[in-house]
Amino acid sequence: MIQMYHVYKTYSKDLEALVDVNLHIRKGECVFLAGPSGAGKSTLLRLIFRDELPTSGQILVNGRNVVRIKSRAIPHLRRTLGIVFQDFKLLRDRTVEQNLALVARIVGMPTPDARRRVAQLLKLVGLSHKAKIIPYKLSGGEQQRVAIARALMNDPAVLLADEPTGNLDPELAADVIRLLLDINAAGTTVLVATHDLKLAEEAGRRTIFLKKGRIVEEWP
Amino acid sequence: MVAKLRRIPADAIMNLVRSGWGGLSSIITIGVSFVIIGIFLLVILQMNALVAEWKEQFQLSVFLEDKISHTQLEILEERIRNESAVKSVTFITREQALANFRRELKGQESLLEGLGSNPLPASFQLKIREGYQSPAALDRLSAFLSRLEGVEDIQYGQEWIERISHAARIVKLLGLIIGSVLTLGSALIISNTIRLAVYARAAEIEIMRLVGATKAYIRAPFLVEGVLQGALGALLALGLLFGAYRLVAPALDLASPLLATTSDRGLLELSMVAAMVTGGAAIGALGSSLAVSRFLKM
Repeated sequence: MIQMYHVYKTYSKDLEALVDVNLHIRKGECVFLAGPSGAGKSTLLRLIFRDELPTSGQILVNGRNVVRIKSRAIPHLRRTLGIVFQDFKLLRDRTVEQNLALVARIVGMPTPDARRRVAQLLKLVGLSHKAKIIPYKLSGGEQQRVAIARALMNDPAVLLADEPTGNLDPELAADVIRLLLDINAAGTTVLVATHDLKLAEEAGRRTIFLKKGRIVEEWP
Repeated sequence: MVAKLRRIPADAIMNLVRSGWGGLSSIITIGVSFVIIGIFLLVILQMNALVAEWKEQFQLSVFLEDKISHTQLEILEERIRNESAVKSVTFITREQALANFRRELKGQESLLEGLGSNPLPASFQLKIREGYQSPAALDRLSAFLSRLEGVEDIQYGQEWIERISHAARIVKLLGLIIGSVLTLGSALIISNTIRLAVYARAAEIEIMRLVGATKAYIRAPFLVEGVLQGALGALLALGLLFGAYRLVAPALDLASPLLATTSDRGLLELSMVAAMVTGGAAIGALGSSLAVSRFLKM
């Protein structure tokens, strides 16, 4: 599903974000990318959804080499990935369902299908009763669940989560991780970047450890 | 495809409404900028209208010798009418000249009481064609007319002609320079205002980028929004200018260029309105497009 071969990302002589990263994530896996702040986790995810280009190396996502695709193909790549961020990145002036519906409009989903999909996903994340509410009125955990629902609008093959629990207290963090595991159980490949080793441990899934841009360890 | 295209103006209008005070301040800023340009244009148009009106009123007087015979008069009139510079000829008898003078002295007719005989000569009042009203052309005409038999004197306010021609040239030049500076300044102000409005939506643009929106999808509503803001700003300016002019013009008792009764174009003539609205829309579109492009580096 995601393959990286000898990937380097260097910003300057003193700043090597990723050094010779090789990894292979299979379809249907749930993998945690763990490590301290500055280890390169977010950089690795950004390369996958082509927010940046690697300095060298190849990255394949669902069989497509994302390093070599043209700029105009990037939006289409991102539609096959669902991305969740630490700061949720929800539109503050739109309701919960409008935030989800945005994705449907972007891909040109017919309105009845979009409505059905929004309702289905809000039910999945347990927020059907909050569809008409503006995100900033929700708790952090609820906002992240909305973000996860939005990431699933296109039924992506891969869900990328960059520190999804970074702004949440432990109880809410555990809720969000449980949700991601449920999504994985339904068939979506999930890759979670986190600095919280305890969360990764408790999830009990394959975990790749990054330190100073290098993969230093892997469980199991 | 049709649904996708329909969505663009719908999104633009929704964004404009959502932008609230930010969008309104953009429209007002554009409007104020156009008011400044519009006031300047009005002043220029007004001065042009005054010059045109003066030119329409302008007359050259050919004063005749007292002894001129009827036949000489007819020949002289014929020769004057045949001149290409002359638009029309009106003969003023000595009696009419005195009557006119008496009218001009309204309230002070007693000054004429000790006159005795009528000292005023008969004259031909000539209206001169537009292209012949320059100092050089009038000098040539005057020189020609003064050599004709029966002509005593020629008068046409030589000094004023030169002054007004000089003033008109300066007005045109200043108009060009100041107009260019104002237009450039306004364009920069408008562009910056729109850029600030777009920057305020940087988070929205980023989110759309990350969920898979194409550049065109992101840019299109902003472009239409910019067009709407620019056009609305220009219309606001036209409304303010027209309203202000209606208040001021009667007091100044000037020819109204707004109604385009002279040969110069009026502010509210359809082509001017279209030009300002189109200009506003274009500046709005350009400002939006440049501002959004800043965020679309993928």
